[in-house]
Amino acid sequence: MKTTMNLKGLMAAGAVFALSAGAVAAQTLTVGVRGGPESLDPHYSALGSHAEAAKHIFDTLVWSGTDLQIEPGLATEWTPIDEDTWEFKLREGVKFHDGSDFTAEDVKFSIERIPVVSGPTTTTIYVRRVSEVEIVDDYTLNIHTDGPAATLPYDFVRLFIVSSEAAADYSTPETAAEGFNSGAAAIGTGPYKYVSWEPKGDLVLEGFDDYWRGPGAWETVIRKEIPNDSSRLAALKAGQVDLINYVSSVDYLALENDADVEAVKGDSVYVMNLQLDQREDTPMVFANDGSKLDENPLRNPLVREAIDLAIDRQTMVDIVLEGLGKPANQMMPPGFFGSSEDIPMPEYNPAKAKELLAEAGYPDGFKIELYCTADRLPGDGAICQGLGQMFSQIGITTDVNAISKTVYFPAQARLEYSVFMNGWGTLTGEASYTLGSLAHSNNPDVKLGAFNRIEYKNDRVDELLQAGATMLDADERRAAYEEAMELTMADKVYISIVQLQTVWGAKADTLEFEPRFDEDTLAYFVKPAN
Amino acid sequence: MLGFVIQRLLQAFAVMAVMSVIVFFGVYAIGNPVDIVIPPDATQEIRAEAIRRLGLDRPVWEQYGIFVANLVQGDFGRSFIYNEPVLKLIGGRLPATLELVLISVISATVLGVSLGVYAGYRPDSWVSKTIMGVSILGFSVPSFWVGLILILTFAVSLGWLPAGGRGDTVELWGIRWSFLTIDGLSHIVLPAVNLALFKFAMMIRLARAGTREIMLTDTVKFARAAGISERVILRRHLLKLISIPIITVFGLELGSTLAFAVVTETIFSWPGVGKLIIDSIAVLDRPVMVAYLILTALLFVTINFVVDLVFALIDPRLRTRAAS
Repeated sequence: MKTTMNLKGLMAAGAVFALSAGAVAAQTLTVGVRGGPESLDPHYSALGSHAEAAKHIFDTLVWSGTDLQIEPGLATEWTPIDEDTWEFKLREGVKFHDGSDFTAEDVKFSIERIPVVSGPTTTTIYVRRVSEVEIVDDYTLNIHTDGPAATLPYDFVRLFIVSSEAAADYSTPETAAEGFNSGAAAIGTGPYKYVSWEPKGDLVLEGFDDYWRGPGAWETVIRKEIPNDSSRLAALKAGQVDLINYVSSVDYLALENDADVEAVKGDSVYVMNLQLDQREDTPMVFANDGSKLDENPLRNPLVREAIDLAIDRQTMVDIVLEGLGKPANQMMPPGFFGSSEDIPMPEYNPAKAKELLAEAGYPDGFKIELYCTADRLPGDGAICQGLGQMFSQIGITTDVNAISKTVYFPAQARLEYSVFMNGWGTLTGEASYTLGSLAHSNNPDVKLGAFNRIEYKNDRVDELLQAGATMLDADERRAAYEEAMELTMADKVYISIVQLQTVWGAKADTLEFEPRFDEDTLAYFVKPAN
Repeated sequence: MLGFVIQRLLQAFAVMAVMSVIVFFGVYAIGNPVDIVIPPDATQEIRAEAIRRLGLDRPVWEQYGIFVANLVQGDFGRSFIYNEPVLKLIGGRLPATLELVLISVISATVLGVSLGVYAGYRPDSWVSKTIMGVSILGFSVPSFWVGLILILTFAVSLGWLPAGGRGDTVELWGIRWSFLTIDGLSHIVLPAVNLALFKFAMMIRLARAGTREIMLTDTVKFARAAGISERVILRRHLLKLISIPIITVFGLELGSTLAFAVVTETIFSWPGVGKLIIDSIAVLDRPVMVAYLILTALLFVTINFVVDLVFALIDPRLRTRAAS
């Protein structure tokens, strides 16, 4: 490995990160990816790996850049024209793969198609605020919403536009998979055309010469699904693939001594958060002898402060994650819409933590069961083990349960845990996505707080988040979200630990590309190095 | 004979019915797939809608009833994850597993039996001792480790063979096969060797033990005394006599490898049913898990049924005993 640079430094330099310079320009790019699409119908699933594949064939109305801040895509501009209407201007002269023109009709068709064909990982979330789509002319749309919808453009970063003509016959739950997976309906305006695909197998694509951003560097792109981390790396080293995503931290260390392979490190959108249950009666906290406590100590601010002080974030990054992360002080990466610069980085002070515990009435500590996944995000199980040791040092005896996500998430949804750690990615790049789901109290009436599984409630936070959702002025909204973030983090019911980083691997001296916060590997933005 | 067949069929049917209950309720107990697949920014309303659409809001016995009713019509349901009929999903991947398993089990048997017979025929030669040493290795080394070592050696270091995937395929009878192209064959070699190693070792040991036993019997002594050549003794007498246990084991191994080639398929990214089931478990894709387990049960029930029939045909005593 010759060079690594994180995205922050890269953006500062304002240049595309070059893995190296000077190599032969190949016509085919073969990428080994951990996971792929569930279907080639872009409206079927909201999973990141699904959207990543879809972005090769289809375009979105609003584009999310490498730092997840929004930019024009198929829409060139958007403005709120009254309380509950957004006007979208569309890009003219865009062609579909079959040569037909892209118009407002295709957007309307795509939006209305989503609720019909969406699968369990539902894409309905992208159009949940839309009440009606009105075509003004071929390149202008008025989108009516159910009340003021400030974040509508952010919802549209995964609104993939399909051809209303090609997909007309393939827009019921029964026909959609067949039409798109065979390629008949997989006609988009994106940089690559469909050639072939089989579930969990190879997705083969061909360059589209009339792409509106200009043709890409590759004539053919093959995305191979190789879920096993070691196998993916082996495929790269054996020369079967040119580029792989999600190099594990163990392999990353080994790659530093390997001249044939280069590793690129990029900041990830995922932050690991510890969550502390706020119910009066919590199931997994006990006195030291295993008996039940009179009250839930996690409701005591002194105890929460002590837990926060017990976490040595720098050690977590350096030792546990092999350097692949950054200490975190809030639930979003810095620079995202609604993240606050006024939140201090929490200190590590176990002595003070012990004092606070004593002051709170637990001089000898207590006992907790700590739960987390071990197979979802890089290092999740290891961070959990680290936390267990750090808590034990201040007298909170911790049983660490790093388990499979298939067991963890259902149990978490049944509210069976008291102290647990989740990775959370702010995939839309703005705070309402994160705070609206986690920090708002669980309230179906206002459609907020669906993932608040610790019964956290702060009236001021609720108020700010509800107000923010209707503020059409971006600066006002940003201020509201920043305050909500500050208040949430000050309550220390969500304790952010580290922001993860992701590693890509490529053959040395062959490719250049820029890592994205959402970890997407997009062939169009990968260039041969020369 | 007809009574025997009917009796065995009824037994097989009962086993399948019990299996379907165990499998369905077992998979149901693991957890709610909704908690894995629904995106975190979904509102409560969208969540409820997804649950309703998948039919997960109904009580478990009702879900089982619907499942059985569909099953009787040959419908295993649709995958939660792929929105494709489960049978099509499994059927589409079966050829990949089938060719891999057949190639590895057959070559392990042919090679293993030959070497085993040699080792039993000349037990004291150094070649035989080497063969037995190799067979111990085949038994004792875990197959995922062997897989990784194979990849490291032949794909990464030497670059002779690909590290994974299926390579070029050719369509035959509407199904895609890899073994008909050079590229596809080169992709099969490593996973097939990985999968064959254990069976190879077992066949050596079976064949050697059988050979040693039979070479000491009177049959062989008299045959030799009668002046029959060693070659004929080996081919006509010995092979026939040791083949009964070998065929039984071959059948069972074929079944279990077909059903559980999971580790090898995962390491070599081989797009077969083993990999499908592992991926499905990871996301709690219930219809695929249930269908796969039920089909596996069906496979074993069928193998046992056929084995029973064959034995009954060979040995009339079994028929009369079962009928009385």
